[in-house]
Amino acid sequence: MGRKKKKQMKPWCWYCNRDFDDEKILIQHQKAKHFKCHICHKKLYTGPGLAIHCMQVHKETIDSVPNAIPGRTDIELEIYGMEGIPDKDMQERRRTLEQKSQESQKKKSNNQDDSDESDDDEAGPSAQQVAVVQAQAGYAGPMAQPGIPPVAGGPVIPPAGYQGMPPMMPGVPPMMHGMPPAMPGMPPGMMPMGGMMPPMMPGIPPVPPHIPPRPGIPHMAPAPAVTRPAAPAAQPAVTKPLFPSAAQAQQTVPGVAGASSSLSTAASTDPPKATFPAYTQPSVSSSSTSSNPSSSTVAKPPATVTSKPATLTTTSATSKLIHPDEDISLEEMKAQLPRYQRLAPRPGQAHVAAPPVAAVGGIMPPQQGLPPQQPGMRHPIHGQYGAPPQGMPGYMPGGMPPYGQGPPMVPPYQGGPPMGMRPPVMSPAGRY
Amino acid sequence: MSLFGTSSGFGTGGTGVFGSTTTDSHNPMKDVEVTSPPDDSISCLAFSPPTMPGNFLIGGSWANDVRCWEVQDNGQTVPKAQQMHTGPVLDACWSDDGSKVFTASCDKTAKMWDLNSNQAIQIAQHDGPIKAIHWIKAPNYSCIMTGSWDKTLKFWDTRSPNPMMSLQMPERCYCADVVYPMAVVATAERGLIVYQLENQPSEFRRIDSPLKHQHRCVAIFKDKQNKPTGFALGSIEGRVAIHYINPPNPAKDNFTFKCHRSNGTNTTTPQDIYAVNAIAFHPVHGTLATVGSDGRFSFWDKDARTKLKTSEQLDQPITACCFNQNGNIFAYASSYDWSKGHEYYNPQKKNYIFLRNAAEELKPRNKK
Repeated sequence: MGRKKKKQMKPWCWYCNRDFDDEKILIQHQKAKHFKCHICHKKLYTGPGLAIHCMQVHKETIDSVPNAIPGRTDIELEIYGMEGIPDKDMQERRRTLEQKSQESQKKKSNNQDDSDESDDDEAGPSAQQVAVVQAQAGYAGPMAQPGIPPVAGGPVIPPAGYQGMPPMMPGVPPMMHGMPPAMPGMPPGMMPMGGMMPPMMPGIPPVPPHIPPRPGIPHMAPAPAVTRPAAPAAQPAVTKPLFPSAAQAQQTVPGVAGASSSLSTAASTDPPKATFPAYTQPSVSSSSTSSNPSSSTVAKPPATVTSKPATLTTTSATSKLIHPDEDISLEEMKAQLPRYQRLAPRPGQAHVAAPPVAAVGGIMPPQQGLPPQQPGMRHPIHGQYGAPPQGMPGYMPGGMPPYGQGPPMVPPYQGGPPMGMRPPVMSPAGRY
Repeated sequence: MSLFGTSSGFGTGGTGVFGSTTTDSHNPMKDVEVTSPPDDSISCLAFSPPTMPGNFLIGGSWANDVRCWEVQDNGQTVPKAQQMHTGPVLDACWSDDGSKVFTASCDKTAKMWDLNSNQAIQIAQHDGPIKAIHWIKAPNYSCIMTGSWDKTLKFWDTRSPNPMMSLQMPERCYCADVVYPMAVVATAERGLIVYQLENQPSEFRRIDSPLKHQHRCVAIFKDKQNKPTGFALGSIEGRVAIHYINPPNPAKDNFTFKCHRSNGTNTTTPQDIYAVNAIAFHPVHGTLATVGSDGRFSFWDKDARTKLKTSEQLDQPITACCFNQNGNIFAYASSYDWSKGHEYYNPQKKNYIFLRNAAEELKPRNKK
């Protein structure tokens, strides 16, 4: 949870419409209630899995998912946790949620103190700021999910909401004027909330300066538009901590993932994308098995391969990945070993045309310790392979036809000094 | 009769396994041991194509060499020849006529090895180690495809030093497979790209990975009409995804299955999850074999979605596998794959290649 792109709502069970705090709990619920075999009580992972189990083990067919509400009993739909839920039902759910929260928002605002009501009048100048704040708060809304229902009370929100801010607040000079275009939908929706602002945002005036991070805005815009109805109550409370602390904002992804510290001192300017996938945080090692892989599959930010590789999620209570922690391939790890880096003759093994040819490609530096001529000369003499390699054909600019075809086609290749050395060397070696 | 410079502890007989007096678990399946195996981890295995009579096996290793054995019908293996690179060999493949072997290495080059003359020349160059090499035979062209850690996929006419085409990939190539007219490349960061090879290679589709962990191996499978229709993708998390390119019902047709894990039903101890090192499809039955870091191989029927067999555990991971052209022989290599890091690397430990009769065990299960 806390990943905006994933579902933007709490995990819920498609089969019975119940809400859960965590996807893990949701899955446990599904396994126990919907994917449990009524004959042997074995818990399967999916509907089809249950069907197959009953068929294969008990020779019995089932045609509907146990304990499911009517209309949601399809045994063939492969749903696991939140995955596999048909889009249609997702939209429906989202809409229902929005409606619900809007209703409760209205009720809430109706029940608010009189002071709030009267503050509506002051909404003028702060409206824009409100909009901004709301936008960001809205963005923070989904981010604040861990343990915080969309329509949660104020006190809970601030720290969580704060986490959503960082991408927005690099502490850049004010560009408030830039906001409205990004938040077309905000002002109207925000009006009711506008009343909240003043009490919440004593620090607003100094804050707007921090809004500007334009790159962050686009990310915010869709978020608030979608979650606004869902988290209107959250916003007013959220805004307060967001702005004043914006100066020190820049909490990195780990913060998003649920840290409760409201004031981060890590002033790194993460690109907005950094908040989504965990791969961009080379120094962050996710601790849960699902957080890393569950990040977006398509929009992967350029991985920091050249620097320290991202770490893998390796351990959970029930399983352990037998793989070194770094997220590079096993071959890459092994290749880093000095003994494989030498590109030099292995002890006791002769070469075949390798060094000079390799050098052509520009691997000269590692070749320094290995005079190209030597192996070339030694080689044919050994004749270990039953047929002495003749003439080390290859991309020899010196005129040796590659692959026995006519003219050397090496002009595009380097014609530098190394090449010049070759012909004199190769000829004696190659010709018997 | 060992032609290879290094000594092999098990003599020159083909059935060396029976001469062994130790009862260690290096060959619990009692399969035929290939003579003169390489001295370092074996990275790839490939059998000769049907166009060539007989069975020839090539294996590339981290000892910078690629070796060729003849596998005789009585099970005897005869070392035939070897070639060297200046860096570990990561992949190798045959040309369609069986006369050439192409090898790819960490030394950033790929070579073409003419078996008749036993000459090898460089045919490709990358800016990084070449991890995957495949021969493409199209009606209107033939070329070599190389995928490298330099994030490019290049296509080479073996007669020219410049690539015919170079395609940029989002990340380093980790594995690839080619069955004309389809090619699949899996990259770092769970990238997955399908290419179509008709007329000329071009990117066909980038696919959202069905797996949640690092990609490790991929193998294309064909449909009943012998056309490539999908692929199996293995990750480091003991899981293989079967993915069809254009299935009638993706949610139903595509699936993943867990494999190469310990403690199947025992829930008291944490389960060890191993990487899937290689996947190979049986050329006749369409069933598949997976080999993993746990030192086991398993046979599966993807259509019946069942497991056919799992082997006993070898004392080393199994790093490569392949079927011969008629599906009678399954070859698998036992060597260290680095899955437990540097500490468990023992350069003295012997590496093995085993051959198993695959005619019966890979027959598909009858669907219920």
